[in-house]
Amino acid sequence: MRHLLLVVALAAVAASSTACATVKPWQRGQLANRCMQFDPDGGFAAFRGHWQESREGASGGSGLQGGGCGCK
Amino acid sequence: MAASRLRQALPLLLGGVILAGAVAWSRGAVAQQQEPALNIQFHGFTDSRGVTVLSPTVDLDRDFTDRTGLRFRFGVDAISAASDSCIRCHAEGAHNQRVYTSASFVRKYGDTAVTVGGEISKEQFYLANTAMTSISRTFNDANTTVAGGYSFSWNRPTLHPAEFAENQFAQNAYVSLTQTLTRSTIAQFGYEISTVNGYQSNPFLRALLNGVRTVGEAPDHRLRHTLTARLRQALPKDTYLEGDYRYYTDDWDLTAHSFSVGLSHYFTPHLSVTGTYRQHSQTGTYFYAPAYTGSPEFFTADFRLFPFDSKLYTGRVVYTPEGRLFSGMFPEGSGVTFQYEYYNADNGFEALTVSTGLRIPLKRR
Repeated sequence: MRHLLLVVALAAVAASSTACATVKPWQRGQLANRCMQFDPDGGFAAFRGHWQESREGASGGSGLQGGGCGCK
Repeated sequence: MAASRLRQALPLLLGGVILAGAVAWSRGAVAQQQEPALNIQFHGFTDSRGVTVLSPTVDLDRDFTDRTGLRFRFGVDAISAASDSCIRCHAEGAHNQRVYTSASFVRKYGDTAVTVGGEISKEQFYLANTAMTSISRTFNDANTTVAGGYSFSWNRPTLHPAEFAENQFAQNAYVSLTQTLTRSTIAQFGYEISTVNGYQSNPFLRALLNGVRTVGEAPDHRLRHTLTARLRQALPKDTYLEGDYRYYTDDWDLTAHSFSVGLSHYFTPHLSVTGTYRQHSQTGTYFYAPAYTGSPEFFTADFRLFPFDSKLYTGRVVYTPEGRLFSGMFPEGSGVTFQYEYYNADNGFEALTVSTGLRIPLKRR
């Protein structure tokens, strides 16, 4: 837990100190590409997340999810 | 001892530095909006434990006004299980079905979007009810997006072959920061915490206790932390790089590192091919052992709680033709996706998945 507090503190300090250049809307051609999205196919990611959760001890990191067992 | 603690803390500290770096750039990330669409998908899964899952899903994301939207998902998992835990009692294998429905409502207030939703998932020996809410806000000409969410799940596992069900309560909260770094680079950083209280053993798997196969016993409380860092980078010649890292730890002493790297390339403006490699490595829980003697408080045969390394290979083709798909049957912008995955773990577990999907865009209001 102490490490997590350290992480939060580092983030807070960094947030208040620096910045980066703003990209204007007309400069976002590449950013709008489907391949630049984090989960362009939500259903594919959800299916993978579900079976991985049934086979691995770690989970999370992909937003909120519902339950389900599938553990047999 | 100190060196060991430092080794354990190092990944978390690295995650902290990465997160700090991301926040430091927090003057501008792109808000990645989901375009309204109807997605019809079919997934197939089979593994070396004898489990086969066929899963059709329908996913609708629709705007009703310029400020309100609804997302609806319905899916069925048809499960055929011939794993050793099933054929112990069902020589022909066991059949099961999971039906799940989720719906969420999105309302936008300027640069802020608020989502409220829920999901019900029901299978023969497991019922899960989840309520969730999230909020996101964009800053700096939509170059920065900060999001957070909370969910509560009430799960009811039935202790098959007994008839009675146990209770399990899970709470989950996350915060994430999505940041545009340059015209061709975007990053996302997240932290998630979840607690699970109640029954968390597995009634189907039996551990070797004093030489006898016995249903395992797990603690009834678990606190889980997840840190993620994700990057998308556009490269020259219609090529895109993706990289994801996840650090996971919990108070059962299970620690995991998962990273993936992928490359996508557009061979034509309408055809993209993606290859992704993912590696996962986890330790076992503090009460994991291959076999148990005496009267241990906790013992398990749940393979998810064992130490192992795994690799996942993914290949994906996305085809979005010019004009209308299938001779005009679907509107312009519709596309199809094919995906193949192979999973291989050093504990002998293997899995294959094959997925296909049809995406039909809907008009934005």
